[in-house]
Amino acid sequence: MFLALKEMRRAKVRFGLLISAIALLVLLILAQQAIQNGLITSFIGAIERQSAPVLVYSVDGQKTLQGSLIPPDLQKAVEGVDGVSSSGKIGQGTFTVRVSGSREDSDAAIIGYERADLGAPQPLSGGRLPNSLDEAVGSAADFSVGDRVRVLPPGGVEGGPEGPEVIEVVGLAEKAQLQVTPTLFTKWETYVAAVRTANPDAGAVLPSVIGLAPVEGVTPEELASRANRANPQADALTRAEAAELTPGVAEVRSSFQVIFLLFGMVVPLVTGLFFLIVTLQKSSSLVLLRAVGAPAGRLVRSLMFQVVVVVGLGLVIGVALYTPLSQARAGSVDLSFDPQAVLVWSALLLSLGVLSALVAARRVLAIDPIEATKGDGGI
Amino acid sequence: MENGGENVNALDEQRPGVEAEALADVPALTLEEVRKTYRVGDSEVVALDRADLTLGRDEIIALVGPSGSGKTTLCSIAGGILSPTSGRVVVSGKDISDYSPRQLTDFRRESVGFVFQTVNLIPFLTARENLLVVDEIGRRDRKRAAARADQLLDELGLSDRASNLPSELSGGQKQRVAIGRALMNEPALVMFDEPTSALDTKLGEQTVGLIRDEMKSRGTAAIIVTHDDRITRYADRTVRITDGRLDS
Repeated sequence: MFLALKEMRRAKVRFGLLISAIALLVLLILAQQAIQNGLITSFIGAIERQSAPVLVYSVDGQKTLQGSLIPPDLQKAVEGVDGVSSSGKIGQGTFTVRVSGSREDSDAAIIGYERADLGAPQPLSGGRLPNSLDEAVGSAADFSVGDRVRVLPPGGVEGGPEGPEVIEVVGLAEKAQLQVTPTLFTKWETYVAAVRTANPDAGAVLPSVIGLAPVEGVTPEELASRANRANPQADALTRAEAAELTPGVAEVRSSFQVIFLLFGMVVPLVTGLFFLIVTLQKSSSLVLLRAVGAPAGRLVRSLMFQVVVVVGLGLVIGVALYTPLSQARAGSVDLSFDPQAVLVWSALLLSLGVLSALVAARRVLAIDPIEATKGDGGI
Repeated sequence: MENGGENVNALDEQRPGVEAEALADVPALTLEEVRKTYRVGDSEVVALDRADLTLGRDEIIALVGPSGSGKTTLCSIAGGILSPTSGRVVVSGKDISDYSPRQLTDFRRESVGFVFQTVNLIPFLTARENLLVVDEIGRRDRKRAAARADQLLDELGLSDRASNLPSELSGGQKQRVAIGRALMNEPALVMFDEPTSALDTKLGEQTVGLIRDEMKSRGTAAIIVTHDDRITRYADRTVRITDGRLDS
């Protein structure tokens, strides 16, 4: 590694620029990954965090809490499915609210659950679950314990968040937003009250979905399958499926995958081209080394060592830059440090970097020491 | 190794002390009926034609001939850069005629030295590192290599330039560093390919004088390829080559 390190030390600017370029690309990739994760979590975090293993939508709801309504006969049908241990209503709506300390009205999603084990968020990052009808768990990105939230009737109200419709935040859950909106988890009755406040003319309040838990020995997947067979209007999904199949999630993922593919191509291209150019530029030195007895394998190892050092340093610097960025917030989207993304991208970029340098390695292996006897430049 | 060089190759197997004594009588280089041809299209080009040459252990020869006469081909075959098409090449008791490319690489690293016409130094290594690189690609006895590099640089008058990059050295200094590099592996034979072509007359003569002094003081054989008749007086004898044939 003598040659590799000496060369890098004597060409600090050249190798430094490549390391900087790779570091910036790594930063961009990880930042995009964080935005993708944050965006998707902000869309469906509440579904991932709620406790019901199976959610039954109505087919007409097209796998959205907002569009699904469960009529009593469908509720009865799915609750009677063989393998159901427990079931409970879950309702969801978006309301105009006023939060203590804020002069402006804003939107908030309220998810009301009949049973805490079938719809309440888990785990909590602070506080506790609601014990009474005027309490809620809030998405940690938007609320603090002690916040008082008033659901506003049509036309709004004068004054602050006081009155019978006020809900106090008593617990917090991380990554628990729905549709990039501040989200509150309440008891079913609190949700019904909110619906009636927002729409005094509302009739019977129907659940958006039914949460199911399977008996021991039945998996959530089996239970969802049985529920779907029980009634053609049922669209039962496991918790993970419900989150992943929410309209828009797949589209967001595929859009980002195109971006990742482009980045994944740029890094090895930049690395490969750089080392090919460097190899061509120092071909006279490589010819000399081969002529005085340097094995080709040793020169290739020296090249690969440089690739690993350059890509490795680029990764370290890129991750170091990404760490503070991942603690930030992009609009309503909370970013977070994703160690798995760091590990996967590091392994991928390192492998691609080494693969891309194989072209340069082939050039090294093809060097004929006889070239040293031809007077075509050099020192 | 397997083609009839038994008597000389047998020396490889002997004990070091005995070997050194026995090698004293072995020529540094023996070429027997060495021929090198190339295919160009349908025709065969003869670069070296039945060359016979013997070089004593501390003998210096000047190989003189016009461009394209086969000087560099002869040196490349003697130094293990090229393999002969036919004939026998024995360097310091080793018959390298049928060596594989990998064996030739090892042979060049361990047994011969080169000073090429143009490409001689690694630009990103200092003068001292250009000598040490021979150890790095070879035996890797760092302590011994460092001592030898310092000794060679001192003998070549380059101690104060040891930390300089080639771009910071004059033409003569670069040539001296190249000579030092060629001597790092304590070779039995050193090939100098047009060592004065990039130097003016005075510096050229100084360099050839230095080569002679260094070779003679070490008892090392050398072939100096040149087409400059003025430097032949520094050699023990002059061998002329024309159209691939050595003049008798």
